[in-house]
Amino acid sequence: MTNTTPARFRAGIRATTFASMLALVLVACGPGGNPSAVPMLPEIDPVGMQEILAVSEKPVVVNVWASWCIPCRSEAPLLREAHAQFGNRVTFIGIDISDSQNNARAFLDEFGLTGFDHYFDPSGSVPAVLGGNGVPLTFFYAPGGELVELHFGVIDERALAFNLDEIMRRS
Amino acid sequence: MEFTLLGSVLVAAGSLYAGLWLMGRRDPAICVRDLWDLALAGAIAGLVAGRLVAMVKGGVNPLTHPTDFILLRAGVDTVGATIGALAAVTFLQRHRLPGLLDQLAAAALVGMGGWHAGCLVRGTCLGTPSDLPWTWAVEGSSISRHPVEIYAALAFWSAAYFVFRWRNKPWLAASLGLAVAGLIRLVVFPLQVSLHSGVVWWYLSAAAVGLMVASYTARPLSEWRNW
Repeated sequence: MTNTTPARFRAGIRATTFASMLALVLVACGPGGNPSAVPMLPEIDPVGMQEILAVSEKPVVVNVWASWCIPCRSEAPLLREAHAQFGNRVTFIGIDISDSQNNARAFLDEFGLTGFDHYFDPSGSVPAVLGGNGVPLTFFYAPGGELVELHFGVIDERALAFNLDEIMRRS
Repeated sequence: MEFTLLGSVLVAAGSLYAGLWLMGRRDPAICVRDLWDLALAGAIAGLVAGRLVAMVKGGVNPLTHPTDFILLRAGVDTVGATIGALAAVTFLQRHRLPGLLDQLAAAALVGMGGWHAGCLVRGTCLGTPSDLPWTWAVEGSSISRHPVEIYAALAFWSAAYFVFRWRNKPWLAASLGLAVAGLIRLVVFPLQVSLHSGVVWWYLSAAAVGLMVASYTARPLSEWRNW
Protein backbone atom coordinates (compact mmCIF):
# COMPACT_ATOMS: atom_id res chain seq x y z
CA MET A 1 0.00 0.00 0.00
CA THR A 2 2.96 2.34 0.47
CA ASN A 3 4.95 1.86 -2.74
CA THR A 4 3.09 4.48 -4.77
CA THR A 5 5.38 6.99 -6.45
CA PRO A 6 4.00 10.45 -5.56
CA ALA A 7 4.91 12.09 -8.89
CA ARG A 8 3.43 9.27 -10.95
CA PHE A 9 0.41 9.18 -8.69
CA ARG A 10 -0.22 12.88 -9.16
CA ALA A 11 0.21 12.55 -12.92
CA GLY A 12 -2.29 9.71 -12.93
CA ILE A 13 -4.78 11.72 -10.91
CA ARG A 14 -4.40 14.69 -13.30
CA ALA A 15 -4.89 12.47 -16.34
CA THR A 16 -7.92 10.78 -14.80
CA THR A 17 -9.45 14.12 -13.80
CA PHE A 18 -8.91 15.56 -17.28
CA ALA A 19 -10.39 12.50 -18.97
CA SER A 20 -13.40 12.57 -16.62
CA MET A 21 -14.07 16.25 -17.26
CA LEU A 22 -13.72 15.76 -21.01
CA ALA A 23 -16.16 12.86 -20.90
CA LEU A 24 -18.64 14.91 -18.87
CA VAL A 25 -18.44 17.81 -21.32
CA LEU A 26 -18.97 15.44 -24.24
CA VAL A 27 -22.04 13.83 -22.71
CA ALA A 28 -23.42 17.20 -21.67
CA CYS A 29 -24.09 18.34 -25.22
CA GLY A 30 -27.70 17.16 -25.24
CA PRO A 31 -30.36 19.83 -25.79
CA GLY A 32 -32.92 20.80 -23.11
CA GLY A 33 -36.65 20.35 -23.51
CA ASN A 34 -38.72 22.44 -25.91
CA PRO A 35 -42.18 23.23 -24.47
CA SER A 36 -43.68 24.12 -27.84
CA ALA A 37 -42.99 20.60 -29.08
CA VAL A 38 -45.59 19.21 -26.65
CA PRO A 39 -49.31 20.14 -26.66
CA MET A 40 -50.89 21.80 -23.62
CA LEU A 41 -51.70 19.32 -20.89
CA PRO A 42 -55.43 18.95 -20.16
CA GLU A 43 -56.49 19.73 -16.60
CA ILE A 44 -57.96 16.99 -14.47
CA ASP A 45 -59.72 16.80 -11.11
CA PRO A 46 -60.12 13.84 -8.73
CA VAL A 47 -63.54 12.87 -10.11
CA GLY A 48 -62.21 12.76 -13.66
CA MET A 49 -59.27 10.63 -12.59
CA GLN A 50 -61.48 8.16 -10.74
CA GLU A 51 -63.70 7.84 -13.80
CA ILE A 52 -60.70 7.00 -15.97
CA LEU A 53 -59.61 4.32 -13.51
CA ALA A 54 -63.11 2.85 -13.12
CA VAL A 55 -63.67 2.30 -16.83
CA SER A 56 -60.16 1.08 -17.65
CA GLU A 57 -60.11 -2.43 -19.10
CA LYS A 58 -56.35 -2.62 -18.77
CA PRO A 59 -54.14 -2.26 -15.70
CA VAL A 60 -53.14 1.34 -15.06
CA VAL A 61 -49.93 2.95 -13.79
CA VAL A 62 -50.40 6.50 -12.54
CA ASN A 63 -47.20 8.45 -11.99
CA VAL A 64 -47.40 11.74 -10.11
CA TRP A 65 -44.60 14.09 -11.09
CA ALA A 66 -43.52 17.72 -11.41
CA SER A 67 -40.82 19.39 -13.47
CA TRP A 68 -39.25 20.92 -10.33
CA CYS A 69 -39.02 17.53 -8.61
CA ILE A 70 -35.46 16.20 -8.80
CA PRO A 71 -36.34 12.54 -8.11
CA CYS A 72 -38.92 12.73 -10.92
CA ARG A 73 -36.13 13.54 -13.36
CA SER A 74 -34.32 10.36 -12.40
CA GLU A 75 -37.28 8.02 -12.67
CA ALA A 76 -38.51 9.52 -15.96
CA PRO A 77 -36.20 7.35 -18.13
CA LEU A 78 -37.46 4.23 -16.37
CA LEU A 79 -41.08 5.16 -17.04
CA ARG A 80 -40.29 5.84 -20.70
CA GLU A 81 -38.62 2.42 -20.96
CA ALA A 82 -41.49 0.70 -19.14
CA HIS A 83 -44.04 2.32 -21.43
CA ALA A 84 -42.07 1.31 -24.50
CA GLN A 85 -42.13 -2.31 -23.32
CA PHE A 86 -45.58 -2.64 -21.77
CA GLY A 87 -47.56 0.25 -23.22
CA ASN A 88 -49.74 -2.12 -25.23
CA ARG A 89 -50.79 -4.07 -22.12
CA VAL A 90 -50.81 -1.38 -19.45
CA THR A 91 -52.21 2.17 -19.53
CA PHE A 92 -49.67 4.73 -18.34
CA ILE A 93 -50.92 8.09 -17.03
CA GLY A 94 -48.86 11.00 -15.77
CA ILE A 95 -50.23 13.62 -13.36
CA ASP A 96 -48.22 16.84 -13.25
CA ILE A 97 -48.91 18.65 -9.99
CA SER A 98 -48.20 22.15 -8.71
CA ASP A 99 -46.35 23.11 -11.84
CA SER A 100 -46.51 25.46 -14.84
CA GLN A 101 -47.56 24.30 -18.29
CA ASN A 102 -44.35 25.50 -19.92
CA ASN A 103 -42.03 23.77 -17.47
CA ALA A 104 -44.11 20.60 -17.58
CA ARG A 105 -44.08 20.44 -21.37
CA ALA A 106 -40.33 21.12 -21.50
CA PHE A 107 -39.84 18.26 -19.04
CA LEU A 108 -41.89 15.87 -21.17
CA ASP A 109 -39.97 16.84 -24.29
CA GLU A 110 -36.58 16.54 -22.57
CA PHE A 111 -37.26 12.98 -21.43
CA GLY A 112 -39.29 11.83 -24.40
CA LEU A 113 -42.24 11.06 -22.16
CA THR A 114 -44.76 12.00 -24.81
CA GLY A 115 -45.78 8.43 -25.55
CA PHE A 116 -48.60 8.37 -22.99
CA ASP A 117 -51.22 10.74 -21.56
CA HIS A 118 -50.31 13.39 -19.00
CA TYR A 119 -52.74 15.60 -17.10
CA PHE A 120 -52.27 18.92 -15.37
CA ASP A 121 -53.29 19.22 -11.73
CA PRO A 122 -52.12 22.63 -10.46
CA SER A 123 -53.72 22.19 -7.04
CA GLY A 124 -52.33 18.69 -6.44
CA SER A 125 -55.75 17.42 -5.39
CA VAL A 126 -55.75 14.24 -7.51
CA PRO A 127 -52.99 12.32 -5.68
CA ALA A 128 -54.40 13.45 -2.33
CA VAL A 129 -57.78 11.93 -3.15
CA LEU A 130 -56.17 8.77 -4.55
CA GLY A 131 -54.39 8.29 -1.25
CA GLY A 132 -50.90 9.67 -1.69
CA ASN A 133 -48.91 12.66 -0.51
CA GLY A 134 -45.80 14.26 -1.96
CA VAL A 135 -44.06 13.71 -5.26
CA PRO A 136 -43.09 11.47 -6.96
CA LEU A 137 -45.74 8.81 -6.40
CA THR A 138 -46.54 5.77 -8.50
CA PHE A 139 -49.92 4.04 -8.23
CA PHE A 140 -50.48 0.58 -9.71
CA TYR A 141 -54.10 -0.34 -10.47
CA ALA A 142 -55.73 -3.54 -11.62
CA PRO A 143 -58.41 -3.19 -14.35
CA GLY A 144 -61.47 -1.50 -12.91
CA GLY A 145 -59.51 0.73 -10.58
CA GLU A 146 -58.51 -1.57 -7.70
CA LEU A 147 -55.35 -0.16 -6.13
CA VAL A 148 -52.69 -2.88 -5.99
CA GLU A 149 -49.66 -0.89 -4.88
CA LEU A 150 -48.74 2.68 -4.04
CA HIS A 151 -45.04 3.44 -4.23
CA PHE A 152 -43.90 6.55 -2.37
CA GLY A 153 -40.80 8.37 -3.60
CA VAL A 154 -38.53 7.65 -6.54
CA ILE A 155 -39.14 4.19 -7.93
CA ASP A 156 -36.33 1.87 -8.96
CA GLU A 157 -36.24 -0.46 -11.92
CA ARG A 158 -36.88 -3.59 -9.85
CA ALA A 159 -39.92 -2.21 -8.03
CA LEU A 160 -41.38 -0.82 -11.25
CA ALA A 161 -40.90 -4.07 -13.17
CA PHE A 162 -42.22 -6.19 -10.31
CA ASN A 163 -45.39 -4.16 -9.77
CA LEU A 164 -46.06 -4.02 -13.51
CA ASP A 165 -45.78 -7.80 -13.59
CA GLU A 166 -48.20 -8.09 -10.65
CA ILE A 167 -50.92 -5.92 -12.16
CA MET A 168 -50.57 -7.56 -15.58
CA ARG A 169 -50.92 -11.03 -14.10
CA ARG A 170 -53.91 -10.05 -11.97
CA SER A 171 -55.85 -8.78 -14.96
CA MET B 1 -31.25 7.00 -1.10
CA GLU B 2 -34.10 5.42 0.75
CA PHE B 3 -33.46 3.55 3.95
CA THR B 4 -34.38 0.21 2.44
CA LEU B 5 -31.67 0.57 -0.18
CA LEU B 6 -29.22 1.78 2.45
CA GLY B 7 -30.02 -1.34 4.46
CA SER B 8 -29.18 -3.46 1.46
CA VAL B 9 -25.87 -1.67 1.03
CA LEU B 10 -25.05 -2.25 4.69
CA VAL B 11 -25.79 -5.98 4.39
CA ALA B 12 -23.46 -6.13 1.38
CA ALA B 13 -20.69 -4.22 3.20
CA GLY B 14 -21.10 -6.40 6.29
CA SER B 15 -20.88 -9.54 4.18
CA LEU B 16 -17.76 -8.26 2.46
CA TYR B 17 -16.10 -7.53 5.78
CA ALA B 18 -17.14 -10.92 7.14
CA GLY B 19 -15.65 -12.56 4.07
CA LEU B 20 -12.37 -10.69 4.51
CA TRP B 21 -12.29 -11.48 8.22
CA LEU B 22 -12.84 -15.20 7.61
CA MET B 23 -10.15 -15.22 4.93
CA GLY B 24 -7.77 -13.39 7.24
CA ARG B 25 -8.26 -16.06 9.89
CA ARG B 26 -7.48 -18.84 7.42
CA ASP B 27 -4.55 -17.11 5.74
CA PRO B 28 -2.24 -14.88 7.84
CA ALA B 29 -0.74 -13.38 4.64
CA ILE B 30 -3.98 -11.56 4.01
CA CYS B 31 -4.11 -8.05 5.49
CA VAL B 32 -7.79 -7.55 6.14
CA ARG B 33 -7.52 -3.83 6.87
CA ASP B 34 -5.77 -3.01 3.59
CA LEU B 35 -8.13 -5.14 1.54
CA TRP B 36 -11.14 -3.57 3.25
CA ASP B 37 -9.89 -0.07 2.41
CA LEU B 38 -9.25 -1.10 -1.17
CA ALA B 39 -12.65 -2.76 -1.49
CA LEU B 40 -14.34 0.36 -0.17
CA ALA B 41 -12.44 2.54 -2.65
CA GLY B 42 -13.46 0.20 -5.46
CA ALA B 43 -17.08 0.18 -4.31
CA ILE B 44 -17.25 3.97 -4.15
CA ALA B 45 -15.63 4.34 -7.58
CA GLY B 46 -18.02 1.74 -8.94
CA LEU B 47 -21.00 3.52 -7.47
CA VAL B 48 -19.92 6.84 -8.99
CA ALA B 49 -19.21 5.36 -12.42
CA GLY B 50 -22.38 3.26 -12.40
CA ARG B 51 -24.58 6.17 -11.42
CA LEU B 52 -23.03 8.48 -14.04
CA VAL B 53 -23.50 5.88 -16.78
CA ALA B 54 -27.11 5.30 -15.69
CA MET B 55 -27.79 9.04 -15.78
CA VAL B 56 -26.29 9.49 -19.24
CA LYS B 57 -28.11 6.42 -20.60
CA GLY B 58 -31.36 7.74 -19.13
CA GLY B 59 -30.96 11.13 -20.77
CA VAL B 60 -30.14 13.06 -17.56
CA ASN B 61 -27.29 15.50 -18.06
CA PRO B 62 -24.83 15.23 -15.12
CA LEU B 63 -23.49 18.75 -15.72
CA THR B 64 -26.79 20.58 -15.89
CA HIS B 65 -28.43 18.46 -13.18
CA PRO B 66 -25.61 17.41 -10.82
CA THR B 67 -27.93 16.94 -7.85
CA ASP B 68 -29.62 14.04 -9.66
CA PHE B 69 -26.47 12.10 -8.95
CA ILE B 70 -27.46 11.36 -5.36
CA LEU B 71 -30.61 9.51 -6.43
CA LEU B 72 -28.97 6.12 -6.48
CA ARG B 73 -32.32 4.39 -6.33
CA ALA B 74 -33.14 5.73 -9.78
CA GLY B 75 -30.44 3.52 -11.24
CA VAL B 76 -26.81 2.42 -11.06
CA ASP B 77 -25.59 0.81 -14.25
CA THR B 78 -24.17 -2.63 -13.40
CA VAL B 79 -21.65 -2.71 -16.20
CA GLY B 80 -20.48 0.85 -15.57
CA ALA B 81 -20.13 0.12 -11.87
CA THR B 82 -18.12 -3.04 -12.47
CA ILE B 83 -15.76 -1.32 -14.89
CA GLY B 84 -15.40 1.67 -12.55
CA ALA B 85 -14.62 -0.50 -9.55
CA LEU B 86 -12.11 -2.63 -11.44
CA ALA B 87 -10.45 0.45 -12.92
CA ALA B 88 -10.10 2.06 -9.50
CA VAL B 89 -8.64 -1.05 -7.89
CA THR B 90 -6.30 -1.56 -10.84
CA PHE B 91 -5.09 2.04 -10.70
CA LEU B 92 -4.62 2.13 -6.94
CA GLN B 93 -2.79 -1.19 -6.74
CA ARG B 94 -1.21 -1.53 -10.17
CA HIS B 95 2.17 -2.56 -8.69
CA ARG B 96 0.89 -5.71 -7.02
CA LEU B 97 -2.33 -6.38 -8.81
CA PRO B 98 -2.42 -10.16 -9.48
CA GLY B 99 -2.00 -11.31 -5.89
CA LEU B 100 -4.30 -8.64 -4.61
CA LEU B 101 -7.17 -9.50 -6.93
CA ASP B 102 -6.79 -13.14 -5.96
CA GLN B 103 -7.09 -12.17 -2.31
CA LEU B 104 -10.10 -9.98 -2.98
CA ALA B 105 -12.00 -12.38 -5.25
CA ALA B 106 -13.64 -14.61 -2.65
CA ALA B 107 -14.50 -11.70 -0.36
CA ALA B 108 -16.02 -9.82 -3.29
CA LEU B 109 -18.26 -12.82 -4.00
CA VAL B 110 -19.34 -12.87 -0.34
CA GLY B 111 -20.14 -9.16 -0.62
CA MET B 112 -22.16 -9.70 -3.80
CA GLY B 113 -24.08 -12.43 -2.02
CA GLY B 114 -24.77 -9.95 0.75
CA TRP B 115 -26.08 -7.44 -1.77
CA HIS B 116 -28.57 -10.00 -3.04
CA ALA B 117 -29.50 -11.10 0.49
CA GLY B 118 -30.21 -7.43 1.21
CA CYS B 119 -33.47 -8.00 -0.67
CA LEU B 120 -34.85 -9.16 2.68
CA VAL B 121 -34.44 -5.57 3.89
CA ARG B 122 -35.74 -4.00 0.68
CA GLY B 123 -38.57 -6.48 0.14
CA THR B 124 -37.42 -7.26 -3.40
CA CYS B 125 -36.54 -10.95 -3.20
CA LEU B 126 -39.17 -12.28 -5.57
CA GLY B 127 -38.90 -12.92 -9.28
CA THR B 128 -40.91 -14.82 -11.84
CA PRO B 129 -44.00 -16.86 -10.85
CA SER B 130 -43.63 -20.51 -9.92
CA ASP B 131 -45.60 -23.31 -8.25
CA LEU B 132 -42.58 -24.84 -6.53
CA PRO B 133 -43.16 -25.50 -2.82
CA TRP B 134 -40.57 -23.03 -1.50
CA THR B 135 -41.87 -20.06 -3.48
CA TRP B 136 -43.99 -17.36 -1.89
CA ALA B 137 -46.16 -14.36 -2.77
CA VAL B 138 -46.13 -10.73 -1.71
CA GLU B 139 -48.76 -9.66 0.80
CA GLY B 140 -52.20 -9.39 -0.77
CA SER B 141 -51.24 -11.41 -3.84
CA SER B 142 -51.91 -15.03 -4.77
CA ILE B 143 -49.04 -15.22 -7.25
CA SER B 144 -46.19 -17.31 -5.80
CA ARG B 145 -42.78 -16.38 -7.09
CA HIS B 146 -39.19 -17.60 -7.03
CA PRO B 147 -37.14 -16.02 -4.22
CA VAL B 148 -34.56 -15.39 -6.89
CA GLU B 149 -32.39 -13.01 -4.88
CA ILE B 150 -32.01 -15.66 -2.17
CA TYR B 151 -30.93 -18.15 -4.84
CA ALA B 152 -28.31 -15.66 -6.01
CA ALA B 153 -27.07 -14.97 -2.47
CA LEU B 154 -26.65 -18.67 -1.70
CA ALA B 155 -24.91 -19.26 -5.03
CA PHE B 156 -22.45 -16.40 -4.45
CA TRP B 157 -21.64 -17.56 -0.92
CA SER B 158 -21.11 -21.16 -2.04
CA ALA B 159 -18.92 -20.01 -4.91
CA ALA B 160 -16.82 -17.86 -2.56
CA TYR B 161 -15.82 -20.93 -0.58
CA PHE B 162 -14.49 -22.72 -3.67
CA VAL B 163 -12.80 -19.64 -5.11
CA PHE B 164 -11.01 -19.07 -1.80
CA ARG B 165 -9.57 -22.58 -1.99
CA TRP B 166 -8.39 -22.09 -5.59
CA ARG B 167 -5.85 -19.34 -5.13
CA ASN B 168 -2.65 -21.33 -5.43
CA LYS B 169 -1.68 -19.62 -8.70
CA PRO B 170 -1.64 -15.98 -9.73
CA TRP B 171 -4.86 -14.85 -11.40
CA LEU B 172 -6.62 -18.17 -10.76
CA ALA B 173 -8.94 -17.05 -7.95
CA ALA B 174 -9.56 -13.67 -9.58
CA SER B 175 -10.47 -15.16 -12.96
CA LEU B 176 -12.59 -17.87 -11.37
CA GLY B 177 -14.36 -15.23 -9.31
CA LEU B 178 -15.15 -13.25 -12.46
CA ALA B 179 -16.38 -16.36 -14.25
CA VAL B 180 -18.54 -17.48 -11.36
CA ALA B 181 -20.04 -14.02 -10.87
CA GLY B 182 -20.92 -13.86 -14.57
CA LEU B 183 -22.38 -17.37 -14.58
CA ILE B 184 -24.51 -16.81 -11.47
CA ARG B 185 -25.91 -13.57 -12.86
CA LEU B 186 -26.51 -15.32 -16.16
CA VAL B 187 -28.49 -18.09 -14.48
CA VAL B 188 -30.58 -15.95 -12.12
CA PHE B 189 -31.30 -13.18 -14.61
CA PRO B 190 -34.14 -15.04 -16.40
CA LEU B 191 -35.80 -15.58 -13.01
CA GLN B 192 -35.73 -11.87 -12.14
CA VAL B 193 -38.48 -9.48 -13.15
CA SER B 194 -36.68 -6.72 -14.99
CA LEU B 195 -37.12 -4.05 -17.63
CA HIS B 196 -33.64 -4.67 -18.99
CA SER B 197 -32.37 -7.37 -21.30
CA GLY B 198 -28.98 -6.38 -22.72
CA VAL B 199 -26.94 -7.10 -19.61
CA VAL B 200 -27.01 -10.83 -20.35
CA TRP B 201 -24.28 -10.33 -22.94
CA TRP B 202 -22.05 -8.70 -20.35
CA TYR B 203 -22.55 -11.57 -17.94
CA LEU B 204 -21.79 -14.04 -20.70
CA SER B 205 -18.65 -12.11 -21.65
CA ALA B 206 -17.45 -11.97 -18.03
CA ALA B 207 -18.01 -15.70 -17.63
CA ALA B 208 -16.20 -16.49 -20.88
CA VAL B 209 -13.19 -14.26 -20.14
CA GLY B 210 -12.96 -15.55 -16.58
CA LEU B 211 -13.11 -19.18 -17.66
CA MET B 212 -10.51 -18.66 -20.40
CA VAL B 213 -8.03 -16.99 -18.03
CA ALA B 214 -8.73 -19.56 -15.32
CA SER B 215 -8.17 -22.52 -17.62
CA TYR B 216 -4.94 -20.95 -18.89
CA THR B 217 -3.56 -20.27 -15.40
CA ALA B 218 -4.67 -23.64 -14.02
CA ARG B 219 -2.58 -25.68 -16.42
CA PRO B 220 -1.35 -28.42 -16.36
CA LEU B 221 -4.45 -30.52 -16.04
CA SER B 222 -2.80 -32.81 -13.50
CA GLU B 223 -3.16 -30.06 -10.95
CA TRP B 224 -6.90 -30.13 -11.42
CA ARG B 225 -6.90 -33.83 -10.54
CA ASN B 226 -4.79 -33.32 -7.43
CA TRP B 227 -7.06 -30.65 -6.01
